[in-house]
Formats: sequence, C-alpha cells, structure tokens
Amino acid sequence: MRVYLIALLAFAGLAVAPFGIGGYETNVLMMVLFFVILAVGLDLVTGYCGQFSFATGAFYGIGAYTAAIMTRDFNTTIWVHLPAGAIVAGLFGLLLGIPALRLKGHFLAIVTIAFQTIVYLVISQWTSFTGGQVGLPMPNAGPVTVFGVTLFEFGSLRSYYWLTLAMTALTLLISWRLVNSRLGREWVAIRDDETLASAVGLDTTRGKLTAFVAYAALAGVAGVLTAHSLRGVTPDDYTIWISATVVAMMVVGGRGTFIGPILGAVFLAILPELLGKFAEYKMLIYGVLLVLVVTLMPEGVVGRLRARAAR
Amino acid sequence: MTAPILEARGITKRFGGVVAVNDASLTVGKGQIVGLIGPNGSGKSTMVNLVSGELMPNEGTFLFNGTDITSLPSHRRARLGMARSFQLLRLFHSLSVEDNLLLANHMRMKASIAASIFGRSSAREEEQRARARARELLAWFDLQDFADRPVSALSIGQQRMVEIARGMMSEPSLFVLDEPAAGLSPPNVDKLIQLVRRLRDEFGVSILLVEHVMRVVRDLCDHVVVLDSGVKIAEGAPDAVVKDPVVIEAYIGTGWKRRAQG
Ligand SMILES: Nc1ncnc2c1ncn2[C@@H]1O[C@H](COP(=O)(O)OP(=O)(O)OP(=O)(O)O)[C@@H](O)[C@H]1O
Ligand SMILES: [Mg+2]
Repeated sequence: MRVYLIALLAFAGLAVAPFGIGGYETNVLMMVLFFVILAVGLDLVTGYCGQFSFATGAFYGIGAYTAAIMTRDFNTTIWVHLPAGAIVAGLFGLLLGIPALRLKGHFLAIVTIAFQTIVYLVISQWTSFTGGQVGLPMPNAGPVTVFGVTLFEFGSLRSYYWLTLAMTALTLLISWRLVNSRLGREWVAIRDDETLASAVGLDTTRGKLTAFVAYAALAGVAGVLTAHSLRGVTPDDYTIWISATVVAMMVVGGRGTFIGPILGAVFLAILPELLGKFAEYKMLIYGVLLVLVVTLMPEGVVGRLRARAAR
Repeated sequence: MTAPILEARGITKRFGGVVAVNDASLTVGKGQIVGLIGPNGSGKSTMVNLVSGELMPNEGTFLFNGTDITSLPSHRRARLGMARSFQLLRLFHSLSVEDNLLLANHMRMKASIAASIFGRSSAREEEQRARARARELLAWFDLQDFADRPVSALSIGQQRMVEIARGMMSEPSLFVLDEPAAGLSPPNVDKLIQLVRRLRDEFGVSILLVEHVMRVVRDLCDHVVVLDSGVKIAEGAPDAVVKDPVVIEAYIGTGWKRRAQG
C-alpha cells in the first residue's frame, strides 16, 4: 500500500510540474519518462528473467516506426498507434525470444546485437518504406473527441507530456503487477536456475517468451510516444547506443529491483543536462559508470542498499 | 511386486564416445524404495537425469504409470507427479525458503496467470493456501523458523531438507533422490533415513534412491540395482547384492569393501 501511495505522490508532482518549469525542462522530463519505460521493460527480461538483450533500441524504433508508417499510410491516430506499437514490437519480441530458448549469456547477447543491427539497417536503408536516413515526419496527433465533442487538441508540448506521464504510470503499474504475479516469480526462477525451474514443473519456454514480449511491448509504447512528441522519426534515434544506455541505467540502478532501473533512468538521463559542454562525453561517462558498478557492486545501487538493509 | 510406477527399458545414453548408460533397465514398484548404486562415474546421475527428462536417451523407453513418457520434457514429467533432488544441491538462491517451495506448487495452481497478474481473489486465495501448505511442510521438516530466510542463509544440511520439502510440495507420486546423504553428518544421515522412510509410509511416495552411503541403502531399500560403467551388473535385495562377487569385483579399488562392511 505504501508503494502505491509514494508512486501516487510522485506522479501528482510530475503532473503539475509543467506549470512550474519551462518548455525545455518539460522536454527533458518527457525524455526521462521514455527512458523510465525502456529501463523498466529491460529489467523485466534481464533483471527478472535473466535474459540479456542489447536490442532495446530496436524495439523502441519498431514502436516509433509503427506509429509513423501507420500515420502516413492509414492516417490513424495515436490511440490506435499505442496498442499497435505494443503489439508489433511485442511480436518482434516473441521472435527474438525464440533464440533465447536455446542460447544463454554471451551468445544470446550477440544475437540481440545482431537483431538491433538488422532493425537499424532496415529502418535506415529501406527508404521507400521507412524514409531512410531522413526518416518520416508526423503531423499533430489531432483533436481528442468523444462522441464528436472535442475534449482537447493535441499539439502543445504539455499534452504530449501528460500523455507520456499517464502511459508511464500505466506501464509501471502493469510491470509491477507482472513481477509480483506468479509469472514474475517464474521469471526469477528461470534466472536463478533454469534446469531446476523445469524440474519443478515450470514451463520455461512460456516464461522466457512472455518476458521478451512484455519487454518489447513496453519499448514499443515508448517508441510510439517518442515518435508523436518529436513529430517524426529518424533512424539515429533508435540505435544500439540507446540499447547500451538503457543497459547502463538498469545495471547502475540495480537489476531486478524494480525501483533501481527507474532511478537509474532518471539519473543517467538527467546527467548529460547537468554536464553542460561535457554532455558530448555522456557515452564515455555511462561506460565508466557501468564498469565501476559492475566491478564494485554488480547488484547495482538499489540492490546493494537492499542487501545492506537485510543484514 | 506391486504394479510399477516407473519402468526404464533398455536405456542407452552416449556422450560423444562415452557410453554413460548402456542398455540398462530398472523398475520401481508403487510404494517401493529402489536403490541405484555403483562406483563413481558408473552412470547413476545420468540415469536420474534421463528419468527426470533433463537428458534424452539415445535408445530405450520410459514408462510412468504405464504411459510412455520418453519424449516428454522435464516440466511435463514433473506435472505427471515426478519430483527429484540433485546430487549438487539446487535451489532458487535469490528466493526465500517459502518461495522455493511455492514455485514447486505453481504447476498445480488452477487460477490463470492473468488472474494472478490482476490480483483476482481466486488467485490470491489459492496462493495463500499454497503458502499455508508450504509452512505446514516446513514445520514437518523442522524448518518453520526459516520460511522467510533466503535459502543461502541455511546450512548445507538444511538446504538438503529444503530440497526434499520442495519435492514434497509438488505432491509427487515418484521422488528421485540423487545422493541425499552427501555432505551430511552421521546423526543427520540417521534423520534422513527416518525421513525418507516416512515419505513412503505416510505420504505413499515411491522412491528411486541413488546413494553412496551403504547404511542408507541397506536400511531403506526394498530392491537395489547396481550399475558399473553404465551397465546393470546386478539387482536384488540389498543384503544379497552387496555380497554378490560381481558387484564386489566392480568396486575393487574404489573402497567398496570398506564401505559395504562399514
Ligand atoms: N554432460 C556430460 N557430458 C559428457 N560426459 C558426461 C556428462 N555427464 C556425465 N558424463 C560422463 O558419464 C559418466 C557417468 O557419469 P555420472 O555422473 O552419471 O556418474 P555417477 O554414477 O553419478 O557418478 P558419481 O557417483 O560420481 O555421482 C562419467 O564418465 C561422466 O564423465
Ligand atoms: Mg552422480
């Protein structure tokens, strides 16, 4: 119950934030929220289920391009794109989950890097379908109407921010329910000892595939939101650098701790803003942080704090 | 003999050039405790892994309660009522003792995964019942005080007991134990003997027992099968088998005589 209360307060604070800060800061907050969704999603498959993935950027891009291409070809709205992006990315997640049934550790990581690379090549080279290097523009999401009555117009930064905030709340709630369900406990069992998991009757195939689908679908939702709020897609927003950044966020915060990757995402996404002219070195800083955390406290900051508290 | 719960017929398993199990057959009757013994590297653990479905045989057939289970993966066999322990202890090390038991009961749960995700009362109540049962079992194993502890906080002897409690949590009809006495002190070995017998007598579980400690085999087993280099070289009543010259021959140089007599 306390968890829900703290979360409620945090979201209430974030909801009124745009009234107190400028457009630039609102943009930064919105980007932080995208990364929160991505990091929590990655935590499901890696932190809880123990399956490595460097393909977050790919699923993020699949969600974004689903929105952009559907807008161009079918003139659909964001309300259609949100479920569509989740489903399309989720299906690709299922596809990437299949090698995970046989491969472990480094070998699986290599396959996910290959997948990330293929998706990047497709979105940057298949110009007739994806717009190639230039990407695709997107119009405003348009008015939100109920029975022909316009509730509000999409277009202002704030409206995208609030939608992103609402979707963040929803995805966090779903993820929280997942990891605290029977399925989440099975993911942890698979992470701890896959042989034992099947020996006690757990269907590890189902466990791994559901984790991949949940992870990919969340990244897809983040992609749809990003495409709409940036008013378009370009391939360079969905590279392996995004994947690496999200891995760093999850690991620094603490794998499989739920709150850890959220804090990791907030910290690492805001960090470049604080670095001023050194912001161009952010990947270097992420890299150094990652190496430090992995060697000094592989369980991450929150993982370490929890272990301390348990003692 | 009673109707068999497990029949292994002509099982062969090769690892590259090594024939770990060679055309071996064995039968466990309902309510029996059957011992599987043999020198180091004779293929006992390989046989256990074949029975539980972790490994697939190159040749041979497994029947469980009369049905052919040869091609079923291990989680399907577990669902049919087969539990096992591991020679090198296996537990979910990041979870509490109670959650370790709970996971062995997941396959028996009737509420859907969706009901569990949405926190429906049917799923919550079912989980509460399973937790209550886990606590009961832990009390039976004298582990009730450790329910909320991480398994890593327990001694090896206690972890072995958690492994057996976990097996019982899945309500098995056949329990395959791979050297449960390994690493236990002599008084704990006595407790283990009592306990395994009670599993059979009070819960009606049939048991396939791989064991090195001869005292355990002699005290518990109704029937013993002996493997040597993957081949079944003898079987019969425990006292007869340990006196069999073929069996003694197989063990010479591996300390068998000392063990058999000790
Ligand atoms: N996965 C594997 N790959 C290759 N060879 C294996 C494998 N598992 C077992 N073996 C070989 O098969 C043979 C039988 O091994 P197994 O572990 O079944 O013996 P065991 O009777 O359980 O021995 P112990 O008493 O030491 O536990 C050994 O020669 C072993 O080296
Ligand atoms: Mg063995």
